[in-house]
Amino acid sequence: MNPIFLFFHKTGSPPWFYKYSGKLIPWLWAVFLALTVYGLYLGLVVAPADYQQGESVRIMYLHVPSAWMSMMIYGLMAIMGFIALVWRIRIMEVLVISSAPVGAAFTIIALITGSLWGRPTWGTYWVWDARLTSELVLLFLYFGVIALYNAFDEPRKAARAASLMSIVGAINLPIIYFSVEWWNTLHQGSSMGSDGPGIHPSMLLPLLLMATATKFFYGANLLSRARLTLLKQDHRKRWVQDLLSKESH
Amino acid sequence: MSHTPFIVGAYLISAVVLFWAAIAPVVNKRSLLRQLKNRQTRMDKLQ
Repeated sequence: MNPIFLFFHKTGSPPWFYKYSGKLIPWLWAVFLALTVYGLYLGLVVAPADYQQGESVRIMYLHVPSAWMSMMIYGLMAIMGFIALVWRIRIMEVLVISSAPVGAAFTIIALITGSLWGRPTWGTYWVWDARLTSELVLLFLYFGVIALYNAFDEPRKAARAASLMSIVGAINLPIIYFSVEWWNTLHQGSSMGSDGPGIHPSMLLPLLLMATATKFFYGANLLSRARLTLLKQDHRKRWVQDLLSKESH
Repeated sequence: MSHTPFIVGAYLISAVVLFWAAIAPVVNKRSLLRQLKNRQTRMDKLQ
C-alpha cells in the first residue's frame, strides 16, 4: 500500500488514534503550561506598559492569541469538514465536532477580554463595529455547529451536517480578517503586517509565547474531546469492550 | 481610571473558561466509563 494511504488508514483507525493520542496529551499539556507560565511572566512582570494603552495592554496577551485561535480553529474545522465529506474519513468528522467547543471557548475569551480592554481604552465595553460583530457571528457559528450535531440521533449523519455547516460558515473568516480594512471600524488594524510587526520585542515575545501556548492547549483539548467522542460512538464495539475489561483488571 | 480590575477580570474569566474547556472532557469521560462498566457488570451477572 502507498505509504501516505497507509498513514491515513492507520491514523484514521479509532483504536490506533485512541491509544497514541492518549500518550501525546500529557506532553501537550506540559508544553502548554511551560509556555503559559513563561509567557505570563514576561507579559505581566517584564513587559512595560504601553505609552497609549497604559497597563491595559496586558489584556492583549490573552485577547490577541484567543482571537487568532478563534479564527484558526474554525478554518481547521472547515478544512477537516471538507476532508470528512469528500473522503469519508471518520476521524475527521470526530475532529470537526471536537474542535467546536474549544473554538467557542477561545471566541468567548476574545470577546470578553476585548470588551474589558475596550472600557478603559475606548470608553465603552461594546460597539456594533464590523470586527466585533463578525467575531460575535463566529461565536454563533460555533454554537450552530454544536447544536446541529446534537440535533441528530445518528452520529455520522450529525457529524456530516456539522462538517457542512463548518464549510459554509468559513465565509465569515475573511470578513473578520478584512473587516478593519473594508469598513470604518473602532478596532485597530493588524499589528502584524507584511512589513514586520509594529510591536516592540519586549511585548512581541510574550505575545508570541502565549499564541504558541494556545496552540498546545487546542491540541491537548482537541485530542481529549476526540477520544471521548470515539468512546461514546463506539461503546458497543469490540475495541472499547476490550479497553474496559483491561481497565477493570 | 485604574486598569487593574479590568486586567484581573480578563485573566480570571479566561482562566475559568479555559479550565472549564480543559476539565469537561475529563469529567465526561470518567462518567461515561463508569456507566459502561456498570452496564458490563450487569450484563455479566445476567449471563
